[in-house]
Amino acid sequence: MDEKLIYERLIQAAESGRPYALATVVQVKGSTPRDVGSKMLIAETGEQVGTIGGGCGEAEVLEAAREVIESGVPRLVRVELTDDYLSFSPAVCGGVMEVFVERTGG
Amino acid sequence: MSREISAVEAARRALAVQEQDAEPLAVVTVVSAPVEDAVGRRVIVTESEVEGSLGSPERDERAAGLAREALSGGQPRLYEIQLEGGFWQLYVETVTAAPDLLIIGAGHIARPLCRLGALLGFRVTVADDRPEYANTGSFPEAARVEVIDFSEPFQKIDVTERSYVVLVTRGHKYDYDCILELLRMQARPAYLGMIGSRRRVRAAFEALVADGVDPARLEGVHAPIGLDIGAETPEEIALSIAAELVAVRRGGSGQKLSELEHVLKRVAGKPSEP
Repeated sequence: MDEKLIYERLIQAAESGRPYALATVVQVKGSTPRDVGSKMLIAETGEQVGTIGGGCGEAEVLEAAREVIESGVPRLVRVELTDDYLSFSPAVCGGVMEVFVERTGG
Repeated sequence: MSREISAVEAARRALAVQEQDAEPLAVVTVVSAPVEDAVGRRVIVTESEVEGSLGSPERDERAAGLAREALSGGQPRLYEIQLEGGFWQLYVETVTAAPDLLIIGAGHIARPLCRLGALLGFRVTVADDRPEYANTGSFPEAARVEVIDFSEPFQKIDVTERSYVVLVTRGHKYDYDCILELLRMQARPAYLGMIGSRRRVRAAFEALVADGVDPARLEGVHAPIGLDIGAETPEEIALSIAAELVAVRRGGSGQKLSELEHVLKRVAGKPSEP
């Protein structure tokens, strides 16, 4: 997704007065679905704009987003995408991502 | 202490850079630190100033140093540094204006190319000498649509090192006038492509050299335009051109990944037949 769209949605989200979590991929090792700088905006309802993994490792980030929206305390989440291929898990990209999750708006 | 910069504030500033040509900037965010209340703080750094604070002048000075290093053309990245006797992780990303895609010629290929270009993050300008083709109704995704005169094609449109220029006018005479003008400019666009068959392109190159263009400058011209995907329809041709634009922007080879990576060869442990 175009980063411009994420910025626009981030501003709209702030104007809505509801809290959101912004997740940014800040470091990757090995093979990951998205590069450093990819962003995803997550609403309280779990609704998301943008993607940092297209299903790959997004569950951990969504969980962290819920916590961060509630506590307001930003944190770094390590997402390991190293499941065995034949597990048919979406997390088979083979890499590790560090994702920074922070609350915005609200 | 100066005001705190939120992610939303940083987004507003990023949009101003991308849409209104504001000064390029770098955003530095603390993503981990021994001091808990520093995490999530950010500063916005331009060549001339630092806005916001990470909580101490020493931290801000380090951040500004990293940001200015990044501003000279860096990809977003995480810096792991020692600061105030502890281990800090600072995430730095730069925001520069979106690259410009100039589509000269508003015909069949221009329409899908305009859509693809906008989708891929280009700021698209479409120009033609026919107002019935060059209008915003035909190109809703374009940032700008201009009616131009092909004898002075770049009078209204700036060409810079950030420009990706695609020549797809209705006649090779117009493509020629445009490319001649472009090759005589001081500024060298990031990408210059011209449509045409092998024979047409060869004739154009010969004429350009006869017109005094340095043959070395022709090396960077993408003509015939696009990647070889067997494109036939206007949409497929637009895709072939868009793929080449991305390859130039991101430094890709345009080859099939399956042929580049040779995964099967690694699995089988023996060389594949050529």
